[in-house]
Amino acid sequence: MSSATFEKGMVFFLSILTLLVSSLLLIILATVFAKGLPALHSGFLIETSEDFGRAGGIFYQLMGTMILMTGAILISLPVALGSVIYQTQYLKSETGKEICRQLGQVLNATPTILFGLVGYLFFGVYLETGVSWVTGSLILAVMILPTLQVSIREAIEALSDQYKETGMALGLSPWSQIKSIIVPQCYYGIITGVFLGLARAAGETAAIMFAATTFSGIRLPESFSDPVPTLQTHMLVLTQEAANPETLAQAWGAGLVLLSLVFFLTVMAWILRGRLKMEAEL
Amino acid sequence: MKNESHGVMLVFAGLNLIFLCCAGGLFFFLIFESYPILKLHGFDFWLGQDWWVGETYGALPMLYGSTLVTALACLLVLPLALAVAIFISEFLTSTSRRCVKAVLELLAGVPGIVYGLLGVSFLSLWIKDIFGLLDGNTLATAGCLLAIMILPTVLTLSEDAMRAGPAEYREIALGLGLSKWQMATGVVLPQALPGIMGAVLLGIGRAMGETIAVMLVVGSLDRIPDPWFNIFSSAQTIPSKLGREAAESIGEGTHWSALMALGLTLFIMVLLINFLGNRFLKRRSIS
Repeated sequence: MSSATFEKGMVFFLSILTLLVSSLLLIILATVFAKGLPALHSGFLIETSEDFGRAGGIFYQLMGTMILMTGAILISLPVALGSVIYQTQYLKSETGKEICRQLGQVLNATPTILFGLVGYLFFGVYLETGVSWVTGSLILAVMILPTLQVSIREAIEALSDQYKETGMALGLSPWSQIKSIIVPQCYYGIITGVFLGLARAAGETAAIMFAATTFSGIRLPESFSDPVPTLQTHMLVLTQEAANPETLAQAWGAGLVLLSLVFFLTVMAWILRGRLKMEAEL
Repeated sequence: MKNESHGVMLVFAGLNLIFLCCAGGLFFFLIFESYPILKLHGFDFWLGQDWWVGETYGALPMLYGSTLVTALACLLVLPLALAVAIFISEFLTSTSRRCVKAVLELLAGVPGIVYGLLGVSFLSLWIKDIFGLLDGNTLATAGCLLAIMILPTVLTLSEDAMRAGPAEYREIALGLGLSKWQMATGVVLPQALPGIMGAVLLGIGRAMGETIAVMLVVGSLDRIPDPWFNIFSSAQTIPSKLGREAAESIGEGTHWSALMALGLTLFIMVLLINFLGNRFLKRRSIS
């Protein structure tokens, strides 16, 4: 066999592999959809689950996931924004900046179950928030902190020096610079980070499964100390205890909703990131 | 005026301090909470083979399970990631490259519980049928599932490492009359090796910490397989052990302390791997 044919063959083989890997996404989507189809009906999103998850919809589970996501982002955003602004605007020492960045990477790499364990101990036991949606939101807030930080830091560092120099030349105080130059100009970076953080929080199970959630009983939280049902843990319980096909179909249906939610948030982040790049090119 | 800006700075410094406390507190609590069990068992905690709640705690089966599953995922993912990364970086047009990268980013975001459900419903049944086993929940199942899960991460990072090679090298190689294939395997690939190492290490770090998907398919038996290389037997990994038992003893007792010590072990392992991975990736981008 000549080397040219060999090379052509190899390239062809690689292209097939690439196609297979790329179609993995389609395969996963199609499988989840096909398996969840029996559970999907017009009221799936707005009905409550019945008969220990065997029938009905996933309204309260979806609400629970949303509550935890929103809570996490509301807690995490100020901290992420503030800490990145401090690191980029006020902190002068390069070593200090590097240490902060490394710690961000450490948080990002930490296995999520550890956030669940330590977070429950610290918030749930020491701060006495118990097994509740507040604990869950706090844990998820810590978990998505590095995701937000990375997006915001990228946007701030991409900001052209002209803006900063003009601000300084106008005699703006650091606070005015932050308020009227940095935050408005890095707006898209912040929103991108928010969407990526939401997507990460929505897909997380291990960190909240024993700290914030319940399987049935409680519906919408009525106080700060109530746990919530969530899509993720709903799926987990159904998967572990599924004995009949209807229950499993419910788990797949919930999976489809969860997957759509995560993909929607990711694509939103892309759209905004694309806009960010375009603005930077101007 | 001066006072106002000082106050503002303090607010931002305070927010940064919260962030530092999150990172530092995690490590502190893991050490603090695992101290009782380490004092009780000492180094034997990591060598003991038996885990009986209330009696004795030995982490070796979990350590071994985590290592084996991760190694398996790594072995499965490496050739595939390498082959596909070469193709994406050297043979695709930039538009299709961006499409594939977008697909990979979406894949990387698929929640672990969805992979878990897929693993339970398909992979473990397939492995059971193909190898004629009694139970499809084995180390091999977990390894395969993890390989699929970390593939997008490893692939994207390896591809970045290949793209990062200087364009002149490619042009010179082609100018010397090498074919595109020879250029890709002979020039780009060796250049990108440290970056690929980094990518694989970061993937391994992710695989080690994955809880839900592994917990559902690994079988959750606290023992070292017999013989030791038998990947078709049920075992346990550190995160899946934590996920299974944390709810039972939350916050108190020796059991909890033992679980936290397991968590500390996992944390240190993941941190070391990640540190190495980042070193490799950085070396690539500087040189």
